[in-house]
Amino acid sequence: MMNKSNPEASKGMREPVGSVDPDLDNEGPDDDLRLVALAQKGDMRAYDTLVTRHRGRIFAMIRNMIHQEADAWDLAQEVFIKAWQALPRFEAKARFSTWLYRISHNVVYDWVRKRKIESAGELNDEIFEKDRIDPSSSTTPSGGESPDSSMSLGELRVKIEVALSKLSAEHREVVILKDVQGLSYKEIADVMGSTLGTVMSRLFYARQKLQALLKDEYESR
Amino acid sequence: MNTNPDEVKLALWLDDELHGEELEAFEKWVADQPGHLAAREESREWRKMMNAALPASEEPPYPDFFNSRLAKAIHELNATPAGKSAPAFSWRSWLMPVTACAGMVAAFWMGGTLKQPPPTPMVITPVSEKKPLVYLPEKGVAADWFRSEEASATVIVLQGVSAIPDSTDFFSTAYIPMQGDKDRTASNRENEDPKSVRQ
Repeated sequence: MMNKSNPEASKGMREPVGSVDPDLDNEGPDDDLRLVALAQKGDMRAYDTLVTRHRGRIFAMIRNMIHQEADAWDLAQEVFIKAWQALPRFEAKARFSTWLYRISHNVVYDWVRKRKIESAGELNDEIFEKDRIDPSSSTTPSGGESPDSSMSLGELRVKIEVALSKLSAEHREVVILKDVQGLSYKEIADVMGSTLGTVMSRLFYARQKLQALLKDEYESR
Repeated sequence: MNTNPDEVKLALWLDDELHGEELEAFEKWVADQPGHLAAREESREWRKMMNAALPASEEPPYPDFFNSRLAKAIHELNATPAGKSAPAFSWRSWLMPVTACAGMVAAFWMGGTLKQPPPTPMVITPVSEKKPLVYLPEKGVAADWFRSEEASATVIVLQGVSAIPDSTDFFSTAYIPMQGDKDRTASNRENEDPKSVRQ
């Protein structure tokens, strides 16, 4: 199962495949692909390097989505296990990191679905309806509404996390992928399995909702 | 002629996703559009604030354990490959029930004829040969553990842990009898003043 398509996989786990040391590399999408190629041959060291390189972003993305550190840790593990299992099918059409985000998206949504079933509808992501959003609010906070410089980033983070938790899962994810992780619209569409237009629309409304939720914060300056 | 760009292009430009000739053409059009220019600045400020408050990358707790546990999970997956389906017919399909019946008969017969052996003392054996994953946050610390199925207990022995300093305050975690405190357990009653016991 190490590498279903490659019977030599288990051998490769003991002996790194190829002459390049996975540890001696420069981080970047191209180098990711080199490590992926090694990992696809069963090189566990190469995969370990990939995990070390991407675990921070995947953990942060999941943590921001579900706001539970312990569960985020477990889900991040699940992401990398699933990625390992699916590695033979990775064709490098997208960046490795985008592919990992896609797997994270599925893992998180599966987890949320299970939680919803277990709690029999206790979780309700759609707290803020469309008509409760101030229609006059702009997509993004105005330049003059930047947060108070005296407010620590930690406090700001807590406020943003609370506001994010009140968004729907789709809106929360699109904000996290765009404004925190820095993915492009096209990459977000790939990750979420949506069209470009849907992503743009979701981001527009998500930012609007976030601004409304953080409005008091800006006005109290 | 309508030279206004479409909304998709505008959204891409607002989030700094236009490049090359497209960006050049758009910049020419937007040069006399102060509203759009201000909106782009707002968008940049917003992303800057979000980036500062929520880091894009955050190491999971115990990152080295994260990798080692992952490696163990993958190793276990490799040991039990999925997708192997049993053959449609095998000797097990008819031999196993027969073997099970014969085993039950033999067990009943042995239970009735053999004497019950005396209880053996509890055996505690190190199970380090099972090689479970142990995470040791400190370098130079060795761990061994002992498992007793009978006692349903596991004892972990750590070697190389630095000594606990004398200055450590245990009062917050454990009760330590102070001078003047009286132990009222039966074994210590004889040391007490008989008058005080009568009272």
